Amino acid sequence: MNADDWLRTLTAELHQRRVAADAARHVVAEAATHLREGGGDPWVVFGPPQQYAGAVVESIGTAPGPRPGPVRLHAAGITKRYGRRTVLRDATLTVRAGQIAAVVGANGCGKSTFLRICAGLMSPDAGEVAVSGRLGYCPQSGGTADFLLADEHFVLVGAGQGVARGPARRAGRAAARQLGWEAGGDVQARHLSGGTRQKLNLTMSTLSAPDVLLLDEPYQGFDQGTYVNFWDQLSRLRDAGTAIVVVTHLLNQLDRVDIVLDLTPARETVRHARDSQGGRQ
Amino acid sequence: MNRLVTVAEMTVRELLRRRGVLLLLLLMPLTFYLIRRDAYLGQSVRSLLLGVGWAVSTAALFATTAARELEPRLRLAGYRPHHLYLGRMLGLWTVGLVISVPFFLLPMIDGADLRYGGLAAALLCSVAVAAPFGMLIGALLPRELEGTLLLLTVVTVQMLIDPAGSGARLTPFWSSREIATWTVDNTDQGYLSRGLLHGLAVTALLAVGVAAVASVRLRRRRHLRHLPVG
Repeated sequence: MNADDWLRTLTAELHQRRVAADAARHVVAEAATHLREGGGDPWVVFGPPQQYAGAVVESIGTAPGPRPGPVRLHAAGITKRYGRRTVLRDATLTVRAGQIAAVVGANGCGKSTFLRICAGLMSPDAGEVAVSGRLGYCPQSGGTADFLLADEHFVLVGAGQGVARGPARRAGRAAARQLGWEAGGDVQARHLSGGTRQKLNLTMSTLSAPDVLLLDEPYQGFDQGTYVNFWDQLSRLRDAGTAIVVVTHLLNQLDRVDIVLDLTPARETVRHARDSQGGRQ
Repeated sequence: MNRLVTVAEMTVRELLRRRGVLLLLLLMPLTFYLIRRDAYLGQSVRSLLLGVGWAVSTAALFATTAARELEPRLRLAGYRPHHLYLGRMLGLWTVGLVISVPFFLLPMIDGADLRYGGLAAALLCSVAVAAPFGMLIGALLPRELEGTLLLLTVVTVQMLIDPAGSGARLTPFWSSREIATWTVDNTDQGYLSRGLLHGLAVTALLAVGVAAVASVRLRRRRHLRHLPVG
């Protein structure tokens, strides 16, 4: 990672951690000046950008985030059994506009099942889900058409909302650019790398401007830069009022979310990460 | 209407890009025709029609299986189930008609003496039945291999069964066989009208089957309530 990449990552980190825009600009400008005048590897001078951003937050604090809006997703008492095995027992989650909720837990504890139930793609044995607004869903893998181009995926999704071809293509390419991907080529989806295919998958789910965005570990195959862009984009969507639920097993990202639902059996809890309201719902 | 046309268009684009599969599918009716050519023209034409039916229904099976994971998210993106299955069917019928053109011309170039209006009607019936037939199998069986084996079984039964027996009428491509008899053997009008009626009825029945399966699979689940945006 060169100095420019390091500064870009630092900017994204500060934005995600909700450092006030002016203060963040000031910190990045100072770091850039320091690197230009003093030289040296930013990793040696400042350390990893995430760590430096953490130190900045400790030092100057964060801007107050926008107050969470109305409830967009309320899943209550979700129970799901496969044969005799109960995968989910009485899982409950409430997410408001402008919040990110992380669904975590061990392998096979029902994270993807919970998300599919929230998306209405699967029926639970008990419980119900109330959604206010439009739903967007990004599966863990698949969900694209092998023989179509990225632009054709955008046209297909856009047509569902009555969006004309040109605007749908432009919107898709713009959303892909946010993930550091130029989507306008004539490459069929089957020829895209695993990470790029996931970018297409993610772009499709945000294209319909959903009020509730459900993401099932969408970052499989992402490189470090894209991964940073991904969380940056989530922060932007959150700030724009989208309610986001993301299934993740990367526990080091939990400081970036507002709510954590742990589905590990016998440990199912909902924590409000930012408000530090622990406890079981 | 735009959604229907978009799904149809994307189905056509996807299928036309599977060039290898398409070529192999086209090879089958051609082989069927050529292999019986020296023996009896009627058998040759009937085999050709069955080959076209097989080719289109296999394409429909592949298209349906490939769309299995995409369709639920298109549903969330604003599509209704009928946009998805009707759009796909429309696309498959279009591809089927395009595939049929060279097979309509083949006996003509070969100098076969037959009723070409009948051949066109029989090809139309084959394509009309094949698209929903392949889609229905694709909707019921999640894996391509299982679906292909079932298609193969049906086509083999169709080929071997006694066409005069009552059981033959239960096979999906009986209509094109009946019309082919009128086309090649100059039989009475009854063959044509029976064939057309059978083709129409089977197409409608299969389309209703596809609609039923798609509507169940892509239904709005009862546990999910949509509230107005507050």
